[in-house]
Amino acid sequence: MHSQAIELTSMRESKPLRSRPKRDRERLVRIVLAIAGWMTVVILALIMIMLFVEGLPIFAVTNPFSFLFTSQWFPVSDPPVFGILSLIIGSLMITATALVIAIPLGIGAAAFLAEIAPPPLREAIKPVIELLSGIPSIVLGFVGFLLLAPAIQRIFNLDSGLNGLTAGILLAFMCLPTIVSISEDALSAVPREYKEASLALGATRWQTIYRVLIPAARPGIVASVMLGMGRAIGETMTVLMVSGGRLAIPSFITDPMSAMTARIAIEINNAVFGGLQYQALFAIGIVLFLITFSINLVADLVLEKQRRRYA
Amino acid sequence: MNIVNLNMTEGRSVPFVFEENVPVKMRSQAVSLFYDKVEALKEVTLSILANRITAIIGPSGCGKSSYLRLFNRMNDLIWNAKVKGQVFLDEEALYDPKIDVVELRKRVGMVFQKPNPFPMSVFDNVAYGPRLHGAKETGKLSEIVERCLRQAVLWEEVKDKLKGSAFALSGGQQQRLCIARVLAVDPEVILLDEPCSALDPASTMRIEDLMQELKKNYTLAIVTHNMQQAGRASDYTAYLLMGELIEFGPTKSIFTYPRDKRTEDYLTGRWG
Amino acid sequence: MSRIVRIIALLVSVSLFLAACGTPTATSPTTGSTSPSLEGGAIVVKGSDTMVNLASAWAEDYMIERQNVRITVSGGGSGIGIAAFLNKTADICNNSRPLAQEELDKAKAAGLEPVSIVVAKDGVSVVVHPSNPIGELSMEQLAAIFGGKITNWKELGGADSEIVVLSRDNNSGTYTFFKEHIVQMKDKKAEYGLMVQFLPTSQGIADEVARNPKAIGYVGLGYLSDKQKALAVKTATGSAVLPSVATVLDNSYPVSRPLFCTTNGQPKGVIQDYLAWILSPKGQEIVRSLDFVPIQ
Repeated sequence: MHSQAIELTSMRESKPLRSRPKRDRERLVRIVLAIAGWMTVVILALIMIMLFVEGLPIFAVTNPFSFLFTSQWFPVSDPPVFGILSLIIGSLMITATALVIAIPLGIGAAAFLAEIAPPPLREAIKPVIELLSGIPSIVLGFVGFLLLAPAIQRIFNLDSGLNGLTAGILLAFMCLPTIVSISEDALSAVPREYKEASLALGATRWQTIYRVLIPAARPGIVASVMLGMGRAIGETMTVLMVSGGRLAIPSFITDPMSAMTARIAIEINNAVFGGLQYQALFAIGIVLFLITFSINLVADLVLEKQRRRYA
Repeated sequence: MNIVNLNMTEGRSVPFVFEENVPVKMRSQAVSLFYDKVEALKEVTLSILANRITAIIGPSGCGKSSYLRLFNRMNDLIWNAKVKGQVFLDEEALYDPKIDVVELRKRVGMVFQKPNPFPMSVFDNVAYGPRLHGAKETGKLSEIVERCLRQAVLWEEVKDKLKGSAFALSGGQQQRLCIARVLAVDPEVILLDEPCSALDPASTMRIEDLMQELKKNYTLAIVTHNMQQAGRASDYTAYLLMGELIEFGPTKSIFTYPRDKRTEDYLTGRWG
Repeated sequence: MSRIVRIIALLVSVSLFLAACGTPTATSPTTGSTSPSLEGGAIVVKGSDTMVNLASAWAEDYMIERQNVRITVSGGGSGIGIAAFLNKTADICNNSRPLAQEELDKAKAAGLEPVSIVVAKDGVSVVVHPSNPIGELSMEQLAAIFGGKITNWKELGGADSEIVVLSRDNNSGTYTFFKEHIVQMKDKKAEYGLMVQFLPTSQGIADEVARNPKAIGYVGLGYLSDKQKALAVKTATGSAVLPSVATVLDNSYPVSRPLFCTTNGQPKGVIQDYLAWILSPKGQEIVRSLDFVPIQ
């Protein structure tokens, strides 16, 4: 039956339904895409495996508890001591400061661009903001060291301008472009109907932004904050230059402190390959990875819950 | 009732009133609307009577939605829109710089073409307006929500799903929810911008019935491209073509004896 | 959305880690050490940040004389230089400290035979803000300050204010030198104090000292300017001596150290010629001109 039908159609000189070359081409595209997709997964898995293979052996020498919960860090002493509590606290304090500054500023700027600025102004500002994210961190670090640190020292009357607050402010500037740019996209993507409905009910622009638009754009905004935070928590050069480099547990944000990434960056080049210091630095990497991963996971779960309610 | 409309050609004079004893709720006086240089409305003069349903009809792009949006100043959202002429609500000039747009929009509610409930629960959708304007106690809010949902003939269908997502409702239910949301702000005028174009016939009928109920307490203006709907549901009809008001009068007379050739062409479906 | 967020999270954290640790080690090896010839060749020099300006100046002048020799110089720290030497990606390592036992073991395992020669001397000067009334400190006082035992300038006869102690980070040869030479002078187990701030560059220390009246730090002689005040240092027996070329040279200034060039085995061919040139009056004149201390 089937072959007859095909013969009939080909006799009428219309294209056969089963076009061989087209199908092959499509299959090829599918294979290429699948390979690309799996490659990413495999590469990521390999990186993770490497992280753990290089880092975990340190726990044969230092028990995980004292690694995580003591703050003596003398990697090149004899015997070396590895305790990273002060680094964890330093990283968290600096990142938290950066976010406290960057989230309201970033979302505010995004809301301004998306909802208040007239389109020509928005078109002019947005590329500039995106350009800001291209400033190399070492340049920002330099500016921070020369200008911001002395200012912070004077304003807060501190012993040293090189401290967590200075680093946090600089990091806020580094993650601002990401937060503004992606949040603005998310806010602009909120259906216009929500905005109109809210305004038509007599809401002010501000009420509309924070009661309807921001909640509706929440997944995108959260993603922007996550990406921004990724940059903040992972940033090395700036933190290295302005955070003060003290290895004691900081008690306040204006204390000099050290971050995990800065430690890795400064010491990895010096560490003997495969040595204890090297393993300890990879173990810091594992901790860093677990922290970022769990933060993202939590954010993800929250979004998922919200999405299931209003999808 | 007078079916002769003498003043239509003279744009600047006060438009003719058809029912002497019914007050004019809103009117426009030679109002023009520009998007940059493009003139979307050309000196439209028109009165909308209190507690009546006025339909604004015309082909796509004729400016009927833009016209409706003059009355709650939604055109302000379009940054390059410019209004010339006067628009009045209760003889108060709406484009006066001193006008508080937020207050205006509380008095003039709007229902949109596509049902647009917020991504919130049914309850929160209706409570949105009252909360904006200061209502806080749950008891009072519940009371408002129930009253408005009853007014919008939706209460029986959603009273058990108040905490559920508004998106779980059908299109027609969503549109009635949007009407309830407008009622909760306690407006005087309700503007409906093609409220049934996304709905099935059954839902459309329910909305039209609802409009007849609402006109007892509110002034309604509806934009529609559906002439049957205008014929069925409205008391007055205005026909706009390319930004110009072609004809305005009691719906019955417009539909039976259109005086302008262009109106007649449109109504008989010769184009549009 | 959620999957994208998750993948982004993974990518960000992993790539950041790699970015943090994957920087310079992958320099390409050269043939300089395997096929040396007097006619010409390429030499890769890597190591101490303290020595990087000096090594560049040497290389520039030497290459003017010997057009057919190409020398590339990079810094990063003694540890980085030694690591590159052990990886055989550097022919000459500039180290401001001797190789540690761990590094010697690695060299042996890699079949390398490190030979270090002293090419110059460095005086580490202890610096404070010019407004600081204190002009001299003893080695013991320095040990107490950098070991965290003394935390207020009052205890040293200065103003009643916190001491902001600045040190190089542990990737610097100066860190090790200062720790072993000063901090551990009495107690071999002593470490830098908890409140010490570790800065990544000597310039950073010089800058911070220049603007912070509470600060004290140490830098190589080459970083001194009139924006900082160098302290005279005295040993338990001697009198206080200011750091200078002369005092380092005659060994009267106590906080000084030798600077090394390390090669694999006795230098041969072009490397031998280069090192001989460095030790010649010409090479040592450059040492002097950069405020290091020549060995003759």
